[in-house]
Amino acid sequence: MQVRLLQGVVVLLLGTALLWAWQRRGLPFLSFEEDNPAPMPPDANEKTEYYFARLRYPSVRYGGYWGFRGAWTTDYPKADRQFLQGVRRLTRIHVRSVEEVVDLDSDEIFNYPWVYAVEVGHWNLSDAQAAKLREYLLRGGFLMVDDFHGTWEWDIFMASLNRVFPDRPVVDIPDKDAIFHVLYDLDERFQVPGIIMFYTGLTYEQDGINPGWKAVYDDRGRIMIAICHNMDLGDAWEWADLPQYPERYASLAYRIGINYIIYAMTH
Amino acid sequence: MFEFLFKYPPTVFLKGEYSLLAPWPAWLLGVLVLAAALLLAWTVRRRMARRAPGLAGWRPAALWLLQSLLAGLLLLLLWRPAVSVATLKPQQNIIAVLIDDSRSMALREDGRTRSEQVIAALDSGPLSELRRRFQVRLYRFGRELERIERLDQLTASAPATHIGAALEQIAAESASLPVGAILLASDGADNSGGVDLETLSEVRRRRIPVHTLGVGRERIAPDLEISDVVLPTRTLADSRLSAHVTFRQRGLSGERAQLTVKENGKILATRPITLGPEGEPQTEVVAFNAGAAGAKNLEIGVSPLAGEQNPRNNVLTRLVNVDAARRRILYMEGEPRWELKFIRRAVDEDRNLEIVSILRTTQNKLYRQGIADPKELEAGFPSRPEELFAFHGLILGTVEVSYFTPAQQELIRQFVDRRGGGLLFLGGRTALADGGYGASPLAELVPVALPARKGTFHRERAAVELTAQGRESLICRLEDDAERNVQRWKKLPALADYQETGAPKAGAVVLAEVSVGRQRWPLLAIQNYGRGRTAVFATGGSWRWQMLQDHTDQSHEMFWKQLLRWLATESPGPVRVTTPQPVVADTARVPLRVEARDRSFAPAADAVVVAHVTGPEGAGGELELVPSSAEPGVYTGEWVAPKPGDYAAEVVVRRRGEELGRDTLVFRREDGVAENFRLEQNRELLERIAEQTGGKYYRPGDLDELPGEISFSEAGITTREPRDLWDMPAMFLLLVGLRTAEWFLRRKWGIV
Repeated sequence: MQVRLLQGVVVLLLGTALLWAWQRRGLPFLSFEEDNPAPMPPDANEKTEYYFARLRYPSVRYGGYWGFRGAWTTDYPKADRQFLQGVRRLTRIHVRSVEEVVDLDSDEIFNYPWVYAVEVGHWNLSDAQAAKLREYLLRGGFLMVDDFHGTWEWDIFMASLNRVFPDRPVVDIPDKDAIFHVLYDLDERFQVPGIIMFYTGLTYEQDGINPGWKAVYDDRGRIMIAICHNMDLGDAWEWADLPQYPERYASLAYRIGINYIIYAMTH
Repeated sequence: MFEFLFKYPPTVFLKGEYSLLAPWPAWLLGVLVLAAALLLAWTVRRRMARRAPGLAGWRPAALWLLQSLLAGLLLLLLWRPAVSVATLKPQQNIIAVLIDDSRSMALREDGRTRSEQVIAALDSGPLSELRRRFQVRLYRFGRELERIERLDQLTASAPATHIGAALEQIAAESASLPVGAILLASDGADNSGGVDLETLSEVRRRRIPVHTLGVGRERIAPDLEISDVVLPTRTLADSRLSAHVTFRQRGLSGERAQLTVKENGKILATRPITLGPEGEPQTEVVAFNAGAAGAKNLEIGVSPLAGEQNPRNNVLTRLVNVDAARRRILYMEGEPRWELKFIRRAVDEDRNLEIVSILRTTQNKLYRQGIADPKELEAGFPSRPEELFAFHGLILGTVEVSYFTPAQQELIRQFVDRRGGGLLFLGGRTALADGGYGASPLAELVPVALPARKGTFHRERAAVELTAQGRESLICRLEDDAERNVQRWKKLPALADYQETGAPKAGAVVLAEVSVGRQRWPLLAIQNYGRGRTAVFATGGSWRWQMLQDHTDQSHEMFWKQLLRWLATESPGPVRVTTPQPVVADTARVPLRVEARDRSFAPAADAVVVAHVTGPEGAGGELELVPSSAEPGVYTGEWVAPKPGDYAAEVVVRRRGEELGRDTLVFRREDGVAENFRLEQNRELLERIAEQTGGKYYRPGDLDELPGEISFSEAGITTREPRDLWDMPAMFLLLVGLRTAEWFLRRKWGIV
């Protein structure tokens, strides 16, 4: 009887400790969603002004590579944390060292006025999620989408986007727009390839030959959704420390990301 | 009756000087009275011992007292007591009869107008009696005094009553004319703010008694009358304004009424109110939107209630200059923050507010927004007064005080103190106490004491609560209705963060507090500092009011617009022209005051200040204002508005040929309004005038006594004759009375 009680207490204590550690992000091996695990920094729980919020969304297809995790986890969390190191070093923004995962099923997203969504060529928002995203953007939230390529993925992206804003056009961001000048002058932009270029030898994927810096604007001429089409900034952040990955791509990806954050915090 | 007993009217006894006419000395009278009393004491004592040995001790004393009084009185009469009083010499003096000819005298009460009541009272005998004994001059007065020949020249149509001015004029005339006394007939409804002390003392110095004849009811009910409306005279377009309306009423306690603000008949705002106790001044506040730019004539008051005797005193007109000029606010932010984005967005659509921000994006890079040209603020935060003082407001975000040079810190202080700008401190991780402000020269500008430690900024959610002052403040007004406003604040999402502050400084007002657990700190506090104003909003997390509420909710936008308008609206330009009352009622004089400053806002003492005035029907002209000897850079003057209507004065200030600036003031002369107010007879004023000048207050029914009493005056041509008092019937009755009382007591006690 006493042995059973002891076992019970040990299990309870272990369970509590694991739960506590998981809450404090100390057990990455418990996460089944991580695409490319990265070490948990000691200040992961710091409260800061800015949080890199990664959008968790339902995908069109769940088979294959993302069958278990969903497309939203691509490059996660190494890209996020490596990019955040750069944001900390290069700007005065008070940044937390780790990302925050948010979704469109609760109101928690409204606490994060800047959200990043990856591989949106595979997202599939429900009407309720689309309505929530629309409300989020109209209140002043900012969405950056990245890493989707070619016509086919564009169409899938647009299918959900049209549920968010049926009547707002997607337009090319003009070079003079503040988003390209708020910190770095980004008049000279080029396609930032993903790690896949080491296998294909190409800087583009599918038929997405030309990079597109596009946006959806609000009624006052401010960008609500910044769209990085036919490029993979996430990979550039993720592999910035890979010796083979060209520095020029990584640098541009960092500069674009930082500009997009500062733009969202000023406009 | 009084005169039958005492021979003369009471005034003689009140004003006269007493004397003894007999040639013998007064001390002898005293000695003889004493001797008589002693002799009588001895006699009474001896007789009583013999005739009535059992009589109690106090009874002989009573008999002795009566006998002594009789003896004393007889001795006094031998000395011939007399009273002497100054009286006007018949036919040589002028009696000035001043009759109120203002419109309130046309008010009909009990079948006759007040004017007719005066005429009837004078015509029933007193006037002809006065004419028989004196030269009588008739005058009528409204705003000014005017001589008339006959009573039928009264029209009761003057648009205002200035009793003081009328008395002043007659007092001046008395320097060359033997004015013996004044009869002032009025309802006392003076609308120049009463009769000043100087006028009264001038009349008193000339010893002219002013007798007053009061007409009109002393209580008019039911009636409500607006006594004052306090409203800013300038504001920005689309600003929220609040009018403080003071009124009093009779016979309407507990009634419900509507407080309204109208512009050209269009209702801008209404508020239901409940009327308080009768006769007590009651003040209510009504908030409304100022609307588009331009001069606004606002009619503010209470809608007439059923049965009101005078509905025309329910409204007052106020003029508000709604300014179209944009107010520029410089916002210095030390690091990218959501607060900057959302503050910018909150005022983005406001045509009157413009935020120019400097943001430190990296250690050495600044990002400027809202600049007029690429050169503006190129070097960062301004170092020269001309550059900083061009702004009307300044916001300091989370930027360490050491980021500013000592000279810049002094410039910030001068921005508020000398330039008259508004300064807002925000909370943040390098703001307020954590930014080193508490130990800096800027500490005195913060409306609250700052903790002397770091670590006061917390990224924890905090609920906001309005204080009592916050509930009244327009800065925090998200709903017109006060109660709904409080509820709306309670529903606001928590702030993303807060910063600990300290106790408010003397003169500061705390509008809102944060409460975390059991602790509370001032969140929003404001104060005046020098010519300007400062505020602290100890958070960087009000952006949650925008992100956590529906996108159509305007709470965040309204709060920031109202706070920033408060911050910047009152910041003057280099030239500022003001007048104490932009709507003058029934007076032509409009005092103008101009504050002139140079580009660094130092007082411009040697400038030429000219007001170009345009008015109705071509009335206008130029007025050069003169420097005030007391305040450098201040120029004053008085414009005389010849006609009723709207006027605009554009003031241009030049120094050595260079224009320092210009400002425009709109004002309005309004006639015929003042007489709708204070319609009850102001008996207190009329009695006070009479009392202080040696005259007497009369009701129309008592006026018969006037001719007899008016001649006792020390003004004009007078004589002073002693009048005997020994032969007064009252004296004889007193002698008989004393003797009878003694006889009666003796009979009663059986010692006859």
